Amino acid sequence: MNTQIRSRESAKTRTNTSEGADLHLRSISKRFAEFIAVDQLDLTVPSGTFFALLGPSGCGKSTTLRMIAGLEAPSVGSISIGGQDVTQLPSHQRPVNTVFQSYALFPHMSVLENVAFGLKRKKDREAMPKAKAALELVELGHLATRKPAQLSGGQQQRVALARALVNRPQVLLLDEPLGALDMKLRRQMQLELKNIQTEVGLTFIHVTHDQEEAMTMADVVAVMNEGRIEQMGPPRELYDLPRTAFVANFLGKSNLMRGEVTGGEAGMLRVDVAGNQVLLPAERAVSAQGQIMVGVRPEKMHIAATPDAVEPGANLLSGTIKDASFTGTTTEYLVQVEGIGLLGTFSQNRGQQPGNVGERVYLSWDPVHTFGLEGSENAAAGVEES
Amino acid sequence: MSTPVMTKRGKIADLRSKEEIKAERKKGRTGLYLVLPGIIGLLLFFALPVLVLLSMSLYTRPPGAEIGEFVPSFQISNYATVLSAYWPELLRSFWFALIATVLALLIGYPMAYLVAVRLRNHGLLKGILLVLLIAPFFSSFILRTQAWKQILADEGFVAQSLKALALLPPDGHLTATPFAVVAGLTYNFLPFMVLPIYANLDRLDTRLLEASGDLYASPATTFRKVTLPLSAPGVFAGTLLTFIPAAGDYINAALLGNNRNTTMIGQVIDSRFFRVIDYPGAAALSFVLMLSILILVIIYIRRFGTKELM
Repeated sequence: MNTQIRSRESAKTRTNTSEGADLHLRSISKRFAEFIAVDQLDLTVPSGTFFALLGPSGCGKSTTLRMIAGLEAPSVGSISIGGQDVTQLPSHQRPVNTVFQSYALFPHMSVLENVAFGLKRKKDREAMPKAKAALELVELGHLATRKPAQLSGGQQQRVALARALVNRPQVLLLDEPLGALDMKLRRQMQLELKNIQTEVGLTFIHVTHDQEEAMTMADVVAVMNEGRIEQMGPPRELYDLPRTAFVANFLGKSNLMRGEVTGGEAGMLRVDVAGNQVLLPAERAVSAQGQIMVGVRPEKMHIAATPDAVEPGANLLSGTIKDASFTGTTTEYLVQVEGIGLLGTFSQNRGQQPGNVGERVYLSWDPVHTFGLEGSENAAAGVEES
Repeated sequence: MSTPVMTKRGKIADLRSKEEIKAERKKGRTGLYLVLPGIIGLLLFFALPVLVLLSMSLYTRPPGAEIGEFVPSFQISNYATVLSAYWPELLRSFWFALIATVLALLIGYPMAYLVAVRLRNHGLLKGILLVLLIAPFFSSFILRTQAWKQILADEGFVAQSLKALALLPPDGHLTATPFAVVAGLTYNFLPFMVLPIYANLDRLDTRLLEASGDLYASPATTFRKVTLPLSAPGVFAGTLLTFIPAAGDYINAALLGNNRNTTMIGQVIDSRFFRVIDYPGAAALSFVLMLSILILVIIYIRRFGTKELM
């Protein structure tokens, strides 16, 4: 993005009255007959945030979005936008716009008419020039007179985005808008969306089941599961310190091991994991006594043929290589550790080779990377089935 | 499929084998065989009768001939004669058909919308209502029209309650009025309006309606700007399927009308043909009716044609 354009854009947004607004959901629930889609959800999204609701299908993230848009009424709870309670307002009176998963472009209107639709409803006298400018923003100005059916999937997606964005809603809702695009286009659109959000400064709520998408784009990610928010925070914080097994597994991969706290000193907990001593910073543990679950991310582990190079104070496990798959930049290993099970890790391809299948290897990691979860957790929660 | 390639001499060679070329020709011929029965049917049952009708409309009655005796001729004045005599009935037919079509649209569109959109996820109820829509077809057209005579009769419920509400003078009638004829036409052709609109609305993507609401359109605006334009092809088909047969209908006017101000062109043709035994006159009127409907439909298609849609 050209810096000149960027500064001009930000000057424009500064003069714009609606800069995005805080969104509050207060103990929102949604029941469908026998099924609870959203369960007592509390959520505050500060103005101007790029917020991602991440979760598997059926976790209630889309229902939450539809309730914010006014397309679904909450069974219990209230929604407010910029301090105004909108719970009872029909969708056409809410200061929000949605980019739908199916795009939902009006097939009987031209691309330009689609984009101008919202402005015309608001009786904006400059509907057409503004719509044209919005189409230029998504680089589709030359296709203004086409019908949506004449555009490719990626182009339709951008029209849908322009159609929502042009209204400068206080909150922009994105319902898996990149789901139908192929991988390459997805990555490109992710960057564009992020750029546009930075430029216009609106509050974006992005619903997705793609954890990579959520982490690359969002300022704050909320991981949803079974109608509840499991954990919320900046992507790096969520990734480095998951507080539940679901988050540990759904957001990236984790090695989770059951153990028992046997003692501790200097802010560290000593955990016995199948006869091995594992150190864990006390403030990184959800539970500090009895049965707990310790976890570490695969890339935090070092794999080596000998324990010689292991730094003092590091956590150390040993096992045999069960599987090694070479991917070019890295080799991914599955290591069988007695009493624990299979642990995954990988090593960067710097010419070395820690070992072959069947050989004994040593896994070590800095204790500060260990995290502790409740002992009652299911170690397989949130593991994506492939 | 074949792949044309450039040969050394720069000509495009057809790589298809002789068998393939033969098979392709055979395919073309098969298609011809398949449409042949249709073409024969059309020639036999449409083109030929129309030609017979056309020539009949130009026959003349020689002086001193018996009733029903006509000889082939080229008497174009037949048209002038029947037009000058029956233009009021012709106009009335189109007028009644127009009112009935508009009424059927006003009644039929909400019905189609209810079944196709509102009850989309209520399988059983939707099924029952659809059956009710089609059910009238299971009984005879004449019987149904006769039933309206009972419904609108002086001692019937409708007339009595209208009189009680002083909406109808005490000595007023509903039967044998233009009102009864238009009501009968509306009722009888209503399914032809509802079904095409239903078929269209059934495919309406309701996510578009959500998107419209999301873009600040009230439900009324959403209907005007999204639902109605998208269902225009159904409305177009429904209005044609209602107007055309209604304009030529004579049963409703015969059973529900009177002799003064409800006579429609169909009745005139019927009586010219079967009672007065004026074959050329009846044929000329039939031809005029056909042509004027054709012209009206062409104007309508030109004006509201749905080529632009989807």
